[in-house]
Amino acid sequence: MWPHMRAAYNLARWLVRNDQDAEDIVQESFLKAFKAQTSFRGSEAKTWMLSIVRNTAIDFIRRDKTGIDVPLGEQKYEPKDESPDPERVLLDQSRREQVRQAISDLEPEFREVIVLREIEGLSYKEIAGVLLIPMGTVMSRLSRARNLLLAELARDSAGRASGGAA
Amino acid sequence: MTCREAGSLLHARLDNELDMAGLASIDLHLSECGVCAARYASLETLHEEIAAADLAYAPGISLERKLVRQYAGEKKSPSRFWSWNWLNASVLAAASIGTLVLLLSVPRFWAGGDTDAIGAEILDSHLRALQTVHQVDVPSSDQHTVKPWFQGKTSFSPPVPDLSERDFILIGGRLEVIHQQPAAAIVYRRRQHVIDLYVSSSGEGNSKTELFEIGGYHLFHWMQNNMNYWAVSDVDPTDLRTFVDLIRAR
Repeated sequence: MWPHMRAAYNLARWLVRNDQDAEDIVQESFLKAFKAQTSFRGSEAKTWMLSIVRNTAIDFIRRDKTGIDVPLGEQKYEPKDESPDPERVLLDQSRREQVRQAISDLEPEFREVIVLREIEGLSYKEIAGVLLIPMGTVMSRLSRARNLLLAELARDSAGRASGGAA
Repeated sequence: MTCREAGSLLHARLDNELDMAGLASIDLHLSECGVCAARYASLETLHEEIAAADLAYAPGISLERKLVRQYAGEKKSPSRFWSWNWLNASVLAAASIGTLVLLLSVPRFWAGGDTDAIGAEILDSHLRALQTVHQVDVPSSDQHTVKPWFQGKTSFSPPVPDLSERDFILIGGRLEVIHQQPAAAIVYRRRQHVIDLYVSSSGEGNSKTELFEIGGYHLFHWMQNNMNYWAVSDVDPTDLRTFVDLIRAR
């Protein structure tokens, strides 16, 4: 009934970093999509829907935060999906929290490429369609974002190691 | 290949975005350059860690409810506007040629829409549900689980009779929006065939059971106690008729 709602919500939630605002953004995005009266099917529709969500979220951040991306009161993350994949080896809780926090702390332009690529599994072409930027820019942003993450997570590990030694 | 050139190709390799030639040249470089190989290994670990962290946020049921409400509200306003115009024009026409009777006899099946179009919409919804895993929001063969599930989601209480003795097995229920109206879909199974019973509160009075045939599918429609009913399935129409009679007689 609500095509790509899961992906739409995930992207919005990562961008605005709060449940309530994410729901509002998805709601507003579906309203825009319905008004546009275009077909919802196929993979292009997903790109299109995510593009609407992304723009709505960016507008929202600008409007509400007057251009400054201040960290919102980050709610404690609790997974809602209670169906774990038995094949999947879960990270230990603290490492998982580090990874989540590191992504959450990225600037929005880097955070969004990581979410679309690493969490939603979109191709470069699809990401280019969502963000309306050339594929070359997708690649450079993604590589920059991963380097930032690697640096941040290395710092975390180092911090943990020295903390443990002290 | 230089390490600088290899830089963005490492990412493209990780993301399966390289063609055969690109793949061959980066793999050659990786076999020769320890620095890039180590870099690639760390990117791979990051990729795996993010996947293992399972970081997708799942929407709660509250979001779906908001969307249903919004969709119902949103689609209603333009159609109300449209029917106003239509009503005005008809009243004018009726006044001039005295055919108000025509206007009054237009059947109001599902919120005043036209029955063929609604039948097509019902069939569409039925087929969409069959194609996806999302056949039911509440999977249960227990009528006392399915019926209360609709409380608070619909303004009416759909009938969910137990027809297992007659070989119609309850599978569950789901919420749909048909012609801008929230509708309960009660899902039954007859051997390998799925039967969807759509119920909405937009009917008026009672009506006879009518048979529609769209693209080889059979749909039965009737109104009963101000409720609208549609039954749709690819099951034999005789069986579907039996089902409809059982629902009507409950």
